[in-house]
Amino acid sequence: MLQIEIDNLNKHYGGFHALKNIDIAIRNGSFVALVGPSGCGKSTLLRTLAGLEKTSSGDIRIAGTSVIAKPPRERDVAMVFQSYALYPHMDVEHNMNYSMRLKRRPRPEIAARTRAAAETLGLGGLLDRLPKALSGGQRQRVAMGRAIVRNPKVFLFDEPLSNLDAALRVHMRSEIRKLHERLEATSVYVTHDQVEAMTMADHIVVMRLGVVEQQGSPLDLYDKPANKFVAGFIGSPAMNFIPVVVGPDGQSLVIEQDLAQPLVLNRKLNPGSRLWAGLRPEHLSFAPVKGDLALNADVESVESTGSMTFVTAGVASQQLVVAHSGRPGVERGAVIRLHISLENIHLFDRETELAVSG
Amino acid sequence: MQGIIRTIRDGSGFDILLLLLALVYLVAFSAFPIIYNIIMSLQTVDMFTIASFDRPFVGLKNYYDILSQPLASTIFWNTVKFVVLSIVFQLSIGFGLALFFQQDFPGATWLRGLFLAGWIMPALVVGAIWKWLLAGDFGVINYILMSSGVTDERIFWLSDPDVALYAVIIANVWLGIPFNMLLLSVGLAGIPRDVYEAAELDGAGAFERFRSITLPLMRAQLGAVISLGVIFTLQQFDLIAALTQGGPANSSNVAQYWSWQLSFQTYEISLGSAVSVMMILFVIVVAAVYVRSTHHEHSY
Ligand SMILES: Nc1ncnc2c1ncn2[C@@H]1O[C@H](COP(=O)(O)OP(=O)(O)O)[C@@H](O)[C@H]1O
Ligand SMILES: [Mg+2]
Repeated sequence: MLQIEIDNLNKHYGGFHALKNIDIAIRNGSFVALVGPSGCGKSTLLRTLAGLEKTSSGDIRIAGTSVIAKPPRERDVAMVFQSYALYPHMDVEHNMNYSMRLKRRPRPEIAARTRAAAETLGLGGLLDRLPKALSGGQRQRVAMGRAIVRNPKVFLFDEPLSNLDAALRVHMRSEIRKLHERLEATSVYVTHDQVEAMTMADHIVVMRLGVVEQQGSPLDLYDKPANKFVAGFIGSPAMNFIPVVVGPDGQSLVIEQDLAQPLVLNRKLNPGSRLWAGLRPEHLSFAPVKGDLALNADVESVESTGSMTFVTAGVASQQLVVAHSGRPGVERGAVIRLHISLENIHLFDRETELAVSG
Repeated sequence: MQGIIRTIRDGSGFDILLLLLALVYLVAFSAFPIIYNIIMSLQTVDMFTIASFDRPFVGLKNYYDILSQPLASTIFWNTVKFVVLSIVFQLSIGFGLALFFQQDFPGATWLRGLFLAGWIMPALVVGAIWKWLLAGDFGVINYILMSSGVTDERIFWLSDPDVALYAVIIANVWLGIPFNMLLLSVGLAGIPRDVYEAAELDGAGAFERFRSITLPLMRAQLGAVISLGVIFTLQQFDLIAALTQGGPANSSNVAQYWSWQLSFQTYEISLGSAVSVMMILFVIVVAAVYVRSTHHEHSY
């Protein structure tokens, strides 16, 4: 069953076209990440879902009914703001139960639901604190608590973790994910961090410049990026791109401006077409793999995180980043053999940047 | 000598110097006049004894004399009306305008600028303008009221004892609106928009957002504006001088103007001092409220 349907949605800020023909369908209970670079319209889309922004055209349906003409409070959605937007003059308890007090719920119910949410989020001892007496992580939890007590149809998150330090961010990711599994409420989660999107969501919508570039499951986007932008955006470190030209046989890729040996693929391509060859850092290795092709490369830099090592290797005039788990034992300035797993090469048209199959 | 110069230049001497300057200023221009005023209110001071400091000490007799004058209760209630009505209308209109200009609409900043006109004009000039507006025979206000059918007869705003005080209050409200509007606008602008949005999502309508978000978050600013408003209103002198001089028959006379009349028109200087000392005591209470209200400022 579909919980949220966004149909051909457009949003203009004066002359600026912020959202262009957005079509998204979100299943009941799923966790959807809206991801894309800063300024691509993620927050705008989330806010139009909440009803905080007016739409220019198109339709939004929540649980089957159009909410386009409804004010935020009639949409039954809860939102966690990036800034948390806590009420500064209310203590934690009153921040969380404001919505219930507005609805004049019976006192025992308010108390019980507030206590339950506080317990879930580990805020039990903080109920009478003002927001200014809380740490960033605690404020974030209060903001979530305020959403949870309402038991809404849809949870909206706008970069809720971006103001936390790295360790807490990783911890909260799994907390939010666990919470989602418990509450089973549909969630839309905005982030500019593709790792966050990949680890938390079961459906990812990649946006750029107000357009949905691609949507699908995390591994779908990783394995079958529809265009060069998605290929470069999903995955860390980012995919390497080399300009290539298809040779007359329709199978070999000649690296442009280089006389190095061509990459011969078992695919049917248009001879002479100009493409980007996309190689994920983890599909390059220093040891032979099945169906690979080896090139000579100069080691230009070596960065190790301990468990992973990232090597920048120069192949002719191109630079390729290689991700190696463990310590490869190569040194800067060395000349090595770089093995490319040919079946994992992604190809994109250099004009349209769309994925090319063959 | 070298040592002194060095402490002034490099050491704590410079801080002390600055402190002394401020202290000297305060003593000379604030503390001394206030204390001198209090002393005068406890002595018999008139035209003949004003030049010498050696005057008969009479204790609280001046206070007793002034409070037992029949005029005292008229003046007291006039002052209460003047302050309370001025504040109520300045505040509500100023707050209303501040909320209005908080909405983004074309020309908002430009229009808001126009409202500051009253603030940059000297009160004496404002008084002169209002005197024309309120004039009984050729005044614009009467013209508007009569041609729109609100009243059939001319209202003699400044010479009718029943309305003179309200005429002064109207002018004073006009004068005070920009100050209220500006200070409250600053406070409103400081409330983050997403706090309102969160409240909207939580189910609060416009009125509920005003009641449970805006008002409590504006508590510090409202406290400041009210207490400063009380102080400014108790200082308002020029406007009264320009409009009614407290008349007719003291019907629009208020404490600060009366104190001046006693001291500088009838030369009952000790009585004038007693009135001003009582006003100072009241202002100190208000100032304490003001200082307390600034403790309620919220950080976002
Ligand atoms: N109120 C507004 N008026 C005009 N332009 C806006 C407004 N809000 C956002 N924009 C523009 O819309 C684009 C998308 O913004 P936003 O949705 O906040 O991006 P993000 O993906 O970083 O959340 C940006 O270019 C931004 O400048
Ligand atoms: Mg954003």
